[in-house]
Amino acid sequence: MTESSTTEDEAKPAGGARRKRHGKMAQIYLGTGGFEFIETRKYWYIIGAAVMLACIVTIVFRGFTPGIEFVGGTQMQMPAAGAAGEIDPDEAGDVVSEAIDAEPSSTQLVGSGDAASVQIRMDTLTVAETDRVKSALFEEFQPLGVDGSPSEAAISDSAISASWGGEITQKAVIALVVFLVLVSVFIALYFEKWMAVAALAALVVDLTVTAGVYSMIGFEVTPATVIGLLTILGYSLYDTVVVFDKVKENTRGLLNLSRQTYGEAANLANNQTLMRSINTSLTSLLPVLGLLLIGAGLLGAGTLKDLALVQAIGITVGTASSIYIAVPVLVDLKMRDQEYRDQAARVHSRRGLARRGAGTASKEDEAPDTGDDEVLSSEVRKEKAYAAAASVPARTPKRSKSGASPSAKPAGKSSGTPTGKSSGKSSGRPSGKRGR
Amino acid sequence: MAPPAGTIRPGRYLAFFLLILVALYGLVFFTGDREARPTLGIDLSGGTTVTMTARTPDGSEPEHEQLEQAREIINERVDGMGVAGAEVVRNGNNIVITVPGEEGEQARTLGQTARLGFREVIAQVPVDSEGMQQPDEQEEGQSESSAEESDADPTDEPAGEPTEEPAGGGGSTSGAAGGAATAGDTGARQQADDSDEMLDEETRKEIAEAKEVRQNPAIGEEGPEAQQAIQAALESLDCSPGAEDPLRGNDDPELPLVACSQDREPADPNDPEAIPPSKYVLGPVILEGEHISDANSGFRQDGAGYQVTLDFDSEGTSEWAQITSDFASAPGQKQVAFVLDTQVVSAPSVNEPIPGGSTRITGDFSQSEAQDLADILQYGALPLSFEQSDARTVSPTLGLASLKAGLLAGALGFALVIGYSVLYYRLLGVLLVASLGLTAGLIYPVIVLLSRWMGYTLDLAGVAGLIIAVGVTADSFVVYFERLKDEIRGGRTVRSAVPRAWVRARRTILSADAVVFLAAGVLYVLAVGQVKGFAFTIGLTTVLDLVVVFMVTHPLLAIAGHWRILNNKTLSGLGMVQDLGAVAQRQRNARARGVAPAEGT
Repeated sequence: MTESSTTEDEAKPAGGARRKRHGKMAQIYLGTGGFEFIETRKYWYIIGAAVMLACIVTIVFRGFTPGIEFVGGTQMQMPAAGAAGEIDPDEAGDVVSEAIDAEPSSTQLVGSGDAASVQIRMDTLTVAETDRVKSALFEEFQPLGVDGSPSEAAISDSAISASWGGEITQKAVIALVVFLVLVSVFIALYFEKWMAVAALAALVVDLTVTAGVYSMIGFEVTPATVIGLLTILGYSLYDTVVVFDKVKENTRGLLNLSRQTYGEAANLANNQTLMRSINTSLTSLLPVLGLLLIGAGLLGAGTLKDLALVQAIGITVGTASSIYIAVPVLVDLKMRDQEYRDQAARVHSRRGLARRGAGTASKEDEAPDTGDDEVLSSEVRKEKAYAAAASVPARTPKRSKSGASPSAKPAGKSSGTPTGKSSGKSSGRPSGKRGR
Repeated sequence: MAPPAGTIRPGRYLAFFLLILVALYGLVFFTGDREARPTLGIDLSGGTTVTMTARTPDGSEPEHEQLEQAREIINERVDGMGVAGAEVVRNGNNIVITVPGEEGEQARTLGQTARLGFREVIAQVPVDSEGMQQPDEQEEGQSESSAEESDADPTDEPAGEPTEEPAGGGGSTSGAAGGAATAGDTGARQQADDSDEMLDEETRKEIAEAKEVRQNPAIGEEGPEAQQAIQAALESLDCSPGAEDPLRGNDDPELPLVACSQDREPADPNDPEAIPPSKYVLGPVILEGEHISDANSGFRQDGAGYQVTLDFDSEGTSEWAQITSDFASAPGQKQVAFVLDTQVVSAPSVNEPIPGGSTRITGDFSQSEAQDLADILQYGALPLSFEQSDARTVSPTLGLASLKAGLLAGALGFALVIGYSVLYYRLLGVLLVASLGLTAGLIYPVIVLLSRWMGYTLDLAGVAGLIIAVGVTADSFVVYFERLKDEIRGGRTVRSAVPRAWVRARRTILSADAVVFLAAGVLYVLAVGQVKGFAFTIGLTTVLDLVVVFMVTHPLLAIAGHWRILNNKTLSGLGMVQDLGAVAQRQRNARARGVAPAEGT
């Protein structure tokens, strides 16, 4: 969709000095969209709070649909293809109840095509009972093995104690807490205190909403889901880090100027990174969708589906929360500092003066990126110096490495010595000075 | 032509990357087994995996050394099975046995504690009989012991045979190994609705309660109090098939005990030899299983089945001789019970002393059951008792289906990302595709080598991690490219925008990747269960992603920055931003021009 608007606009001749009006999609694409994320944050908070509340209420009153790992039990699975044609799940259930004198708790056909299988769940069986059920199923249906001939080994089974899911969850919760602590430290060191708080707020929203969606729709929760939920946090933070990086850049030296407030700078950063957030989320989401499609469509159930589903929900929620929650919360937290409030007041008074004085003033002024321009330039210079230094002293005579060079510009005169390489590589790494 | 001084030399990076790639593939194809295939987890290739959780009597954390010791013993037991490729690893408080192929079912029985103790039988009560019998009233015919003991010294055999009478009732329907399996399985029956914090608490309470009632010191004494204690203990004990014994493997050898027979299945009415399962009232342990120096299985002397022969060490020999002579000389029929993990395997009566330091357990064992019992006794008892948390057997069929699905999902995800990036980024999308392809090309040999050198196995969750990680790699490029757009929008040419965009994007990519890696690392270290493979592949690809971004994507873009073709708006996917950049440039120029003359006048 962005694509089409791009080409549309391209069809028109490039405008002169006057700014062209772009469509909304193009504005997102260009990052010039004047979307007021910060101005309207009250609404986002309200929406966020409402969704959170709905999620919490559902979780409390409806709970989750626990998978077999959490309730315990035995599950058997066999290919739906038997020697005598398709196996009917209900018949399979009857065979099981005959063999163990107890009704299976569920029987279903999962997956499709070659991967279709019959899945039967029942209370935990002893090894002897398991064997009995297996041989009864085999005798009745003759499920086909890998080589196409009937085989008892084609029947899979798993017996899980109820405490196992509990243990996985417990470990996952510990991992969650450790992760949150480490990540807070990381963000606080890398960015600043309030950014860490805002990022964590967004994470809490992600967790709650993802869990809420599971509860609302009644998706089965398995240990894979719980673990998947944890990795979402990584992705959600990825988005937040991207946006905050831009916010940091836009607000460098902000206090010394009275051009724009912190909120405005953050809003601009949000607009500028909007396309990036959408794109990173889409590229993350696409493989997950592939996984979900195959996992749910072909296999029907299992680890692939569980992991993909929770990721798909989490990535979507995570993107939204970095845009609508993380940045607005950051602005609110920042504005608690007197300095930023004073600066905002200065900005407003200056604008008031300008309006009274020169009529239309430089409100259109759009040169937000100058904040760290000098720092950036110096870093680029430094980099060039490194590269130059790395390429000049060739300590060992070059070894010809024809064929090793890629199709593009060959290494040419460059020596290709390991020394040169490694120093060149280290120049490619961040200095670390700014990072920490 | 040499790049002008001061720009990076992309050729070097690419050449170095290629060198790494060549080296990796060289290692894959020319070292080790030269198999260019990673070891697949059992959920992809078929097999059995059993996860057992350590369980201490008081619910406290088991000690590290005990777990390690238990792992080694279980490993020996697995080796005794003689299945190739089996593996025993410790994972938190769990021990995970993995047996590939179709012979893994046995692995389910390996987790039993195997704490053997000999106890005096005070009373025996068939489970089926409603009215509780008075202790000491049991008759020969009711005792269900499936075992007989004898001096196993072969030379002594003819004389040894009549020294003890097989306890009446004949063989039990299931042998030791079958019963052991029951012991393992029963652990799986936990209350479902327990929340996890409750679980430990509850377990601890259960054990304590069971201990109080069933190991009441009063049981071993005389008088009405003892009767009462025994009655209460018998009533509290549930010997129905599959019922869990909270005490299992955790009974106190110093105290008397009320326990079930190992065989819990109701007697088969068609089998005249079958006898119903019993509850036993037992005295304190009189001889510990650790005095067993060797255990072997073999044919029974009379040829009617299999037996397990136990050899005692010197201390055990003299104690056993003492015990049997005491029992034989005592008035009435006295039985001694083999108690394995709080269950009575057999309880033969002793008629004569057995001085040879060796004894036999006979019963209705199959060959493999006898073998399993002997193995378990031989490798010794585990220092901890384990509960079977998760036992799954994946058929090769299901494994193959999962593998196919994983590959298909990977291909689909890859295709979607490629499609989107080429549509959106056009020519630069091709660079993204190249980077993705190279990342995949880099990951594969690394995984093969990891599985060859470190025993890494790629499981289904790992495959899912790899697929999802395609997104991480693509994200790095997106961040870089969007930065490039920023710079171009600011009025720079593609060529001059590249190094500036790189400096900024690099920082973002590093911090974002660090966060993902942190998440994966924490999960890998702290989480348990099969999804560990997921965290592993995500962490691995994040690191390799950095390698590719620094050594491939950036150099490629630096090269591409010089291409004229990128100035073609349709192909570069940069059209609009370039327009905007041109506007910005003009404005800047105009301002510069406007300011200069103003100052001039």
